[in-house]
Amino acid sequence: MKGKCYIQGLAAITPQHTFEGDLSQPMVVTRGNMLSCVEPDYRSFIAPNSLRRMTRVLRMGLTASLKCLQDSGIAIPGAIVTGTGKGSLQDTERFIKEIRDYEERALNPTPFIQSTYNAVNGLIALQQKCTRYNNTFVHRGFSFEHALLDSMLLLHEGTSDVLAGAFDEITPEHFFIKGRIGHWKKETVSNDALYEHVSPGTISGEGAVFFLLAPTATAQSYAQIGGLEMLYKPSPEKLKTALPQFLQQHGLQAADIDLVLSGANADSNHAHYYQVLNDCTQCPQLPFKHLSGDYETAGAFALWLAAQMLKQQQIPSQWFPMLQQQPARLRNILIYNHFFGEQHTFMLVQAV
Amino acid sequence: MAERVFITGLGMITAIGDNVAENLRSLRAQKSGLDFTRQLDTIYKEVLPVAEVKHTSPALSEMAGVAGKEGYTRTTLLGLIAMQEALRHAGLSNLEDETTGFINASTVGGMCDTENVYFDIADPTKTGDFDKYIDTLDCADCTQQIADVVGISGPITTISTACSSSANALMYGARLIKAGLVRRVICGGTEALTRFTLNGFNSLKNVDKRPCRPFDNDRNGLNLGEGAAYLVLESESLVKERNATVLATLNGYANTNEAFHPTAPSPEGDGAYAAMKTAMEMGGCTPADIQYVNVHGTATLSNDVAEGMALQRLFGDDVPKFSSTKPFTGHALAAAGGIEAIYAVLAISHQIIFPNLHFKDKMQELYITPETQLLEQYPVRHVLSNSFGFGGNNASLLISKYEG
Repeated sequence: MKGKCYIQGLAAITPQHTFEGDLSQPMVVTRGNMLSCVEPDYRSFIAPNSLRRMTRVLRMGLTASLKCLQDSGIAIPGAIVTGTGKGSLQDTERFIKEIRDYEERALNPTPFIQSTYNAVNGLIALQQKCTRYNNTFVHRGFSFEHALLDSMLLLHEGTSDVLAGAFDEITPEHFFIKGRIGHWKKETVSNDALYEHVSPGTISGEGAVFFLLAPTATAQSYAQIGGLEMLYKPSPEKLKTALPQFLQQHGLQAADIDLVLSGANADSNHAHYYQVLNDCTQCPQLPFKHLSGDYETAGAFALWLAAQMLKQQQIPSQWFPMLQQQPARLRNILIYNHFFGEQHTFMLVQAV
Repeated sequence: MAERVFITGLGMITAIGDNVAENLRSLRAQKSGLDFTRQLDTIYKEVLPVAEVKHTSPALSEMAGVAGKEGYTRTTLLGLIAMQEALRHAGLSNLEDETTGFINASTVGGMCDTENVYFDIADPTKTGDFDKYIDTLDCADCTQQIADVVGISGPITTISTACSSSANALMYGARLIKAGLVRRVICGGTEALTRFTLNGFNSLKNVDKRPCRPFDNDRNGLNLGEGAAYLVLESESLVKERNATVLATLNGYANTNEAFHPTAPSPEGDGAYAAMKTAMEMGGCTPADIQYVNVHGTATLSNDVAEGMALQRLFGDDVPKFSSTKPFTGHALAAAGGIEAIYAVLAISHQIIFPNLHFKDKMQELYITPETQLLEQYPVRHVLSNSFGFGGNNASLLISKYEG
């Protein structure tokens, strides 16, 4: 696939103060293994009567997408493509309960409609009157990455620009449920001390992150997405050959990578995969999940971080206290993330 | 120049048959799959007809060759049966020779099983044998289970755009091939009946208590169905290399959005019109080239008006034969696009047009009526297949006869 992909606008609602795009905000510290988003004032984006009906992830998703469009200066994108691991959990939980509580009678359809995984996509299209391509991927740690691949295909096929994003929420009920299968740490940790607690499980998180992607660079560009690779349940050998191959395909050597953003999350069950980074790169590696927690579409937050760092040529040191020294330059950032050992992704993000 | 995308294998299971041949037989016999549920625990058991696959889940496990193994939901089992048939049909016994992708579609993942244990799962005071269902809460579980059983290791993902999900899966698969990222990808969707979905559509007052009547003036909603359907898509070069039989070509496709209402189409069918027109033009066809449209035709009040208006706008006075096969299969949501794409291939390879069952009276708003007879030896070269969903999501596929 030929063709380029530039980030022309972005917005993020995350457990950190990211919404205004200001990297100098202090780190939000949460104790309790479940990070929740710092939510913006939605009223400047969504009309009050619509806002009242919308549940949390719909608000977050719609608002992040609108802020992203604002940032890019484009009102109607050529396509809307998103990824979400869980869709609207609040609505799904509510509808399941109402079916039980009202014994299948006289149900309010709103939670059912909003539980549909493409509900956010529909809302964005409706609000912006975007009648073009619209798609939603729902595959755990590949949800956002396939949305990104779809977007890159669209640009390659001639679409002028694409709004690509991801959203996921966590609820106390779902946090409990996933805890039953060992997703979270047994001991209560504070996110700023996550990496001191290497043990089974990690901490949970959530976020809504959107990008406006276009095939040509302008002064406004944040970064270029130079490469994307997904590996489904790779063997250790496969992973070990895939990373150098990925770099080579993009004409890079280990020394060309200035920074690695790694999905390492202090989960001792799945930590060994990140070893591949030590073998294949020489630059500083920064983990990011103490900022976002872990969730299916955390890769979108990593991409947001990379794009911001490349544009500003700086790593926010208050968010990354483990950073010993600012790199002399930031040209190529490699993101390596996996979701509980199954969906592995590499992204190459480059300065424009 | 991008490669052409060929369809080389089909696999399916629906209320009217456990495989493609049985589906074709039931279509020809004009035998509807609608009946009351035997599997679902709901107060609507004897009220709302559904098109249910006529096997218990343990029986499906046997058919799928995973009897006695745990952790397979009904969604997965239906998908696995259809996938295995598709691979056999395409003559693929070993997927290791060629990177093979899998683009699946699902609306509610393993809800069919999880809704029965959800309150135990969510209750901290309960412990038991239900932890194995936790991973099946999402849409990716069925996709990965199916991939792991048959040994797919290439690009893998799941699409969820409500009722158009598997049409979008086919489109995405075709685009991966055209971009040269993969030469073979299996696309479609799987859907099991759930209380969740039945109550969802019923709360929208979209479910008819009678067998559904698409495009009839007296229609009053849809009937839900379940099933799975997969199509093997391969690039022209791979087909030549392995001397595979081409069943049809995926010649055009389009995805548009209504941007009108969360669950209803625009009354003039703007999105449906744009999707059909774009898909047709992509395949180099004019309206006169299309012999058959397998319509979305859910029999909801709003769908059939919008889709009918779109057909009239696109085809004018020469609307080709069209029918909804949902009175046979029910509306199988995420599987519908795959099921109907297979019916489009069958229409071409058997030169046949399927009847729109239960139609009596022309809709007031339209001047067109669906085909109500089974037409054999009907020259079919190009078929449009429509799938429209919540969120204003419209997908249209153009499936064409392979003529070298």
